[in-house]
Amino acid sequence: MESERYNRQIILSGFGKEAQLRLLAAKVLVIGAGGLGCPALQYLAAAGVGHIGIADDDHISLSNLHRQILFSTADVGQLKTAVAANRLREMNPGIDIVTYPISVTKNNVLDLLENYDLILDGTDNFESRYLINDACALLSKPLVFAAVSGYEGQLAILNVADDQGLRTNYRDLFPVQPGAGEIPNCAENGVLGVLPGIIGTMAAAETIKLITGIGKPLINELLHYNLLTQAQYKMSISPAQDYTLPKTKTDFLKMEYQDSCGLSTGYTEINADQLQALQQERSVLLIDVRERHEVPILNKEIFTQVPMSEFDNFLLADIDAENIVLICQHGIRSVAAAEALQEKYGDSKNLYSLKGGIIKWRDYFSTT
Amino acid sequence: MEIEIISFGKISEFIKPQKLEISGITHTDDLKVYLESSFPKLSGMKYKLALNKQIVQQNCEIANHDTVAIMPPFSGG
Repeated sequence: MESERYNRQIILSGFGKEAQLRLLAAKVLVIGAGGLGCPALQYLAAAGVGHIGIADDDHISLSNLHRQILFSTADVGQLKTAVAANRLREMNPGIDIVTYPISVTKNNVLDLLENYDLILDGTDNFESRYLINDACALLSKPLVFAAVSGYEGQLAILNVADDQGLRTNYRDLFPVQPGAGEIPNCAENGVLGVLPGIIGTMAAAETIKLITGIGKPLINELLHYNLLTQAQYKMSISPAQDYTLPKTKTDFLKMEYQDSCGLSTGYTEINADQLQALQQERSVLLIDVRERHEVPILNKEIFTQVPMSEFDNFLLADIDAENIVLICQHGIRSVAAAEALQEKYGDSKNLYSLKGGIIKWRDYFSTT
Repeated sequence: MEIEIISFGKISEFIKPQKLEISGITHTDDLKVYLESSFPKLSGMKYKLALNKQIVQQNCEIANHDTVAIMPPFSGG
């Protein structure tokens, strides 16, 4: 270890050589080398985190440069992971950096996380965030969650047991992944470059605190930050009961993580757990689009029956409900019904189709 | 009774931080119904409440001068 390089932090009271050795031994995976990932990577590398993984499949574009400060104008068009790794190696040749120029999916995420002690999520979409959360929960990997919107940021440490042995994950905050277009992303909403700079740097600070054991990291806490007022608001998170996480690799691979900001379908396919969570979270109109003779017969007080053969008539009247879940035997006609509603209402309603239908989730329906 | 409302992100565009006089509302579930009917945009969104800086996971009793924060999920990076 180069003591001189790290001298100013080693001499800190409460830090010392021991903390520095912990950093050197740590394996941190940063997913997303963007506005949050760049500053986080810079400080983690500079501080001497010994093993850093960088996962991102994106190439650098000109509109990234105001906030993704590892990249320069000449890098436009290059792979983010390659340029970031080069810059970080120049900055600190004493650490090991591995790049993954891939999109993180449910098929590769478990293998990817396996090699790391701690994950920093700096991605920019809900699909990745729920995927990473569920994978970290399954593998019991500490997750530093950082996200921004407009002039505000959110930061939390998830999946780390507190003094009482309690651990929380992102679904304890938001059990169901938002649908397409529900929450605007940076590309649609805009972002001042310095905001992910601040939140990404805070995420690096929390990572360093967790690794070295200094201070009081944001375990089971959500920090909300407002750049315009410099206000910070810290809330404590406790485990919720209204969702289930995949408990095995097989369950995980069956999860649906819809692309909520890319290929917009106008409706979201959900599973029975998401349906249950939706029902508990807000008022939803549940529509069974099967014909009247089909079995099993569902409780008509809960499920409104509108057979597909009558659906055109149904579309003539206006529906007040904001949230509509469509259900059929196998989840195919319900997609057609969701598309018909989408055509009529556009994005003004949240439309869901139960993927796999009543047959797939028969246990759920037999108890409803 | 009077409670203080704090709002974050997109929600703060239609629910401004404010002192709110509520009558007949004693629990967070009732407050959600009230907020969703007073601010219809909220019912179409994912959001979470925090009562006095504790994330609300079940129906909680609200007392005079409590603070309720309303937040949407953020995904940007």
